[in-house]
Amino acid sequence: MRARKSKDRGAKKIETAIETAIETAIETAIETINLNVYYNSNHVIKSVSLQIPENVVFAIMGPSGCGKSTLLRAFNRLIELQENARVEGDIKLYGRSVFEMNPIEVRRQIGTVFQQVNPFPHLSIYENVAMGLKLNKLVKSKDELNRTVEWALKKAALWDEVKDRLNDFASNLSGGQQQRLCIARALALKPEVLLMDEPTANLDPIATEKIEDLIYELKKEYTIIIVTHSPSQAARVADFVAFLYLGKLIEVGPVEKIFENPAENLTEKYLTGRIG
Amino acid sequence: MNRLVKEKVFLISITVLSLLAILPLFHILFSVTVNGLPVLVKGGFGFLTGTLASPGDGLGGIGVAIVGTFVLVFLSSLIGLPIAVVAGIYAAEYPNSAIGRLTKTLLQIMLEFPTILVGLFVMQIIVVPMGNYSALAGALALAIVMMPYVAVSTEEAMKEIPFTYREAAFSLGLTRFKVVFRVLMGMARKGVLTGILIGMAKVAGETAPLLFSAGGASRVYFMGIDKPIGAIPLLIYNLVQQPYKNYHQIAWGAAFVLMLIFLAIFIPIRLKIKEVKI
Repeated sequence: MRARKSKDRGAKKIETAIETAIETAIETAIETINLNVYYNSNHVIKSVSLQIPENVVFAIMGPSGCGKSTLLRAFNRLIELQENARVEGDIKLYGRSVFEMNPIEVRRQIGTVFQQVNPFPHLSIYENVAMGLKLNKLVKSKDELNRTVEWALKKAALWDEVKDRLNDFASNLSGGQQQRLCIARALALKPEVLLMDEPTANLDPIATEKIEDLIYELKKEYTIIIVTHSPSQAARVADFVAFLYLGKLIEVGPVEKIFENPAENLTEKYLTGRIG
Repeated sequence: MNRLVKEKVFLISITVLSLLAILPLFHILFSVTVNGLPVLVKGGFGFLTGTLASPGDGLGGIGVAIVGTFVLVFLSSLIGLPIAVVAGIYAAEYPNSAIGRLTKTLLQIMLEFPTILVGLFVMQIIVVPMGNYSALAGALALAIVMMPYVAVSTEEAMKEIPFTYREAAFSLGLTRFKVVFRVLMGMARKGVLTGILIGMAKVAGETAPLLFSAGGASRVYFMGIDKPIGAIPLLIYNLVQQPYKNYHQIAWGAAFVLMLIFLAIFIPIRLKIKEVKI
């Protein structure tokens, strides 16, 4: 009798422990609620509701033209640069609607790395990383600027390759180095979330591997949302995968679940190469 | 006819036609040099610094007109460049707004507008109320001539920047103002500077806008921006109408100097202002 009571108590304890663990450990970094995006009358994102936990790599995969990049650009309101784009629904960053925040603030907290490798070609390697810090007045002294630039380049695993040529033009770096420079440029602002829009689409396999290793390192501190049209890349880098097809969210879940046991027929077709 | 022969005929005809098209340019360069260089050599340094000779009395100098041209180009740049660059950026940034479209159309019209009418306009709004010709009026007329060149090339340079860089700049949490002026302008600098230099070269050689505005001067270097001022093209225009042989020689010498100034502005454009690789 006594033994059973204590066993009950023990079970209860474990239960609450699990609950608190879930509550504290898995915080939602980004949440979309019934998100719709239109370009003029073209409905490109259709009622997408997603929860992206923090400190994971979250991949959005799907065939070309399914709205992956549009969805990504909605997260930090970069989509608003498109004059004909219209967004409905809500997006929350740590519980706070991004539409209630200044877009400038949103973009500082949610950095972006683009498919087209785009360091500013007229600036040096150093200036590319320092630009955002200087123009946003995020550093107080030249010394702090130097330290932050070095920190960001180290985080992006580029420091050792460029530390002796910081004043060289960014355009003189290789494609893979340029992309890591873009990552450093985004990290310098110390964002919480990093959006990556097919970051390796224009890179060779070796550069791609370096970026993927880097993604693995970065997820310890950042929430990374990566768009890819390659299921194998999603399988390599992601913890969670969302499958987007023609603007609709078909399926979302842990990577093992989606790849080994997809619930939806479409997902399976996509993963086995029958659509896409 | 065999197709190889056809190709030869085609190649030869386009070569000849291209040469015909650039022949006048070489003829101008040639005749101005042949007639003007000896005057400059004979007149020496004094030709560049001195004041105008009396009729029939040697070469003197065209220093007054040279100073005038530099003052006018400087003043007109001061007035015109900021407005033109901002207008060009506006047209590039807001291409679909009513004002943006209007700006663009007006710039295209201004580009082709008869410059003598610009001179008349400035005469009406400045010379008549002030009661005399002035450097200020000349500079304003030149600024109006200069602006569309600068604005259009600024607009084109801004629009040529691939969208991905604009996105990248915005993704750093920058305001639109900073994106445009601190990031994109730097990338467009070659186009913007080229437009500025073309505008300056253009107004350095303009005569018509100055006829009713600057008034001209040949004996006193600079009397103030509210007083008449000389300019090399204006001097040439006046001298060739005179019956004196030495004035015609001075005009050739002045033409040669004007050409040198023009080339001095233009050659750097060709030799490329540090190009941005995109």
